[in-house]
Amino acid sequence: MPSITLQDVCVDLPIYNSRGRSLKSAILAQTVGGGLADDRDQNVVVIRALNHVTLHLEHGSKVALIGANGAGKTTLLRVMGKIYPPTGGVADVVGRIACLTDLNVGMDPEATGYENIRMRGVLLGLTRQEIAKLVPDVAEFTELGEYLTLPIRCYSQGMMLRLAFGISTAIQPEIILLDEIIGVGDQAFAERARQRLNSLIEAASILVLASHNLHTISQFCSSAIWMSHGRVIDRGPAAEVLDRYENGVQPP
Amino acid sequence: MLKDSRAGMADIYRGLSSWRTWSMLAWNDVRGRYRRSGLGQFWLTLSMAATIFGMGFVYARLFALNVSTYLPYITVTFVAWGIISTVVVESCNALSENEHMLRQLPLPRSLFACRVIARNLIVAAHNVLLIPVVFIWFHVGINANILWIVLGLGLLVVNAFWIAYLLSIICARYRDVPQIVSSVMQVIFFVTPVIYLPAQLAQRGVTLLKWNPFANLLEIVRDPILGAVPSSWALLSCATMAIVGLAMVVPFAGHYAPRVVYWL
Repeated sequence: MPSITLQDVCVDLPIYNSRGRSLKSAILAQTVGGGLADDRDQNVVVIRALNHVTLHLEHGSKVALIGANGAGKTTLLRVMGKIYPPTGGVADVVGRIACLTDLNVGMDPEATGYENIRMRGVLLGLTRQEIAKLVPDVAEFTELGEYLTLPIRCYSQGMMLRLAFGISTAIQPEIILLDEIIGVGDQAFAERARQRLNSLIEAASILVLASHNLHTISQFCSSAIWMSHGRVIDRGPAAEVLDRYENGVQPP
Repeated sequence: MLKDSRAGMADIYRGLSSWRTWSMLAWNDVRGRYRRSGLGQFWLTLSMAATIFGMGFVYARLFALNVSTYLPYITVTFVAWGIISTVVVESCNALSENEHMLRQLPLPRSLFACRVIARNLIVAAHNVLLIPVVFIWFHVGINANILWIVLGLGLLVVNAFWIAYLLSIICARYRDVPQIVSSVMQVIFFVTPVIYLPAQLAQRGVTLLKWNPFANLLEIVRDPILGAVPSSWALLSCATMAIVGLAMVVPFAGHYAPRVVYWL
C-alpha cells in the first residue's frame, strides 16, 4: 500500500560560494588552522529549508501544499520524491512515484522524438515490453505523427511541451508529486492534457500538489498543508485551511 | 561505518542493476557526439589512426626502434591508455554534469560511474578495429596468451569503477578537483610506458615502474594482446588495488553519495 511517512524531517541546504567549492581553500583552512576558521564558515551558508516536518499520508490522500514562496513546498516535494535525502529525521516513501516537477528531464535535443520516448522509459526503469507499449501511446496522445522521427531540437516550443507532457504522463504512478498544474499548448490540446492529468490523478493513490492557485486546489485536493519558513503551521480539510490562509489567520 | 558501508553497497547494487539505463545513456553519449557528422562515430577510429601512425613513424625513428614492432606496440597501448585516462578525466564531471537529472530522478550515484566506463568501452571498441589492421600489415600474430585479456580487462574495469565513483563524488563537492586531476593525468601519461617501452627504462636502470599503478593496469591489458603473459606482479598489484579501492570507496560513497544532490 503506498504511503508517505515523514518523521521529524529536516533539510539543510548548503550554499557554497566559489571558495567553499575549492579543495585548495578547504585544505588551506585546515592547515592554517584556528585563526582562519571563521573565514571558512563564510564560504558556506546553510539554509534550513525544512524544519522538523512530521506527517503521514496514506492511500486516498489528496493534499495541497500552500504557503508563500520559499516556504519549503518544493523541498518537501523533493524529499517525498526521494530526491533530497533528509539531513535529519526519517523519510519513508512506499510506492511508485512520479515527480512531475520538470517534464523535460533527460530529454536530449539531438535525439528524435521516438528516441526520447524510449530513453525516458529506460530512465524510469521500465522494461523493454513496457517501453514498447509506451511508444504508441505517447505518439497517439501527442499527435506529433511524422515529427517524432525528427530530432526534437527542430520542434516548436508547443510541440516540445506536448512531447514532454505526453511522456511524463504516460505511466500511471501510485504517488503523484506536482509543482503547480501544468498547462500545455493550444486550446484543443490543453483540454486533452487536462483530461489526461485528471484521470492520472483520479487513479493515483496519493497526490501532493504544491500550488498557489486556490481554484485548482479545491478542485483536486481534500486536505491541505500550510507551510511557512520550512515548518508546517496548519493542516486539515482543504476548505478550512484555505479559508484561514486567505484571511491570514495563523492557527493557535 | 557499518551503516555507511551498507548504504554504499546498496548504491552500487542499484547502480549496477540499472544497466539498462547506463548502457542506454552511454550509447547515446557516443552517438550524440558524432550525430551530425557523415562518418559518425568512426571519426573516433580515424583520429586514433592518425595519432598512432603520426607518432609511430616519428618515435620509432627517435627511439631507433623497428617500425614493425613499435607501431603495433603503441597501437595497443594507445587504445588501452585511452580507456584509463578518459575514464579518470571524464568521471570528474560524471555527477556535476548531470545536475538536472539528479534533481528530478532518484537515481543511484554509481550509475554515472558505470555510464562513463561503458561510454569509454564503446569508444575503445571502435579503436580496437585498428589493432587487427596494424597487426596484419606488420605481420604480427596473436597467440593463446590473448586469453589473459579477460582477466586483465576485468581488473581494469573494477579499478576504473572505484576510481570513477570516488572522483565523481569528490568533484561534485570540490569544483577545482577536475583541473587538478587532468593535470595529474598529463604527468602520469609521461611516467607510464605509453609511447615508450618499459624495457627502454629498464635498460637505463630505472626499476620504479612497477610502483606505478597505471603502468601495471596498462600492462595487464597490453601484454595479452601482444602475445605475452602479464607479470604476476602486475596482476597481483592490480587485484590488490581493486580490493583496497573498493573497500575504501564503499563506506565513503555510503556516507557522501546521498549528499551529492545538495552540492550540485
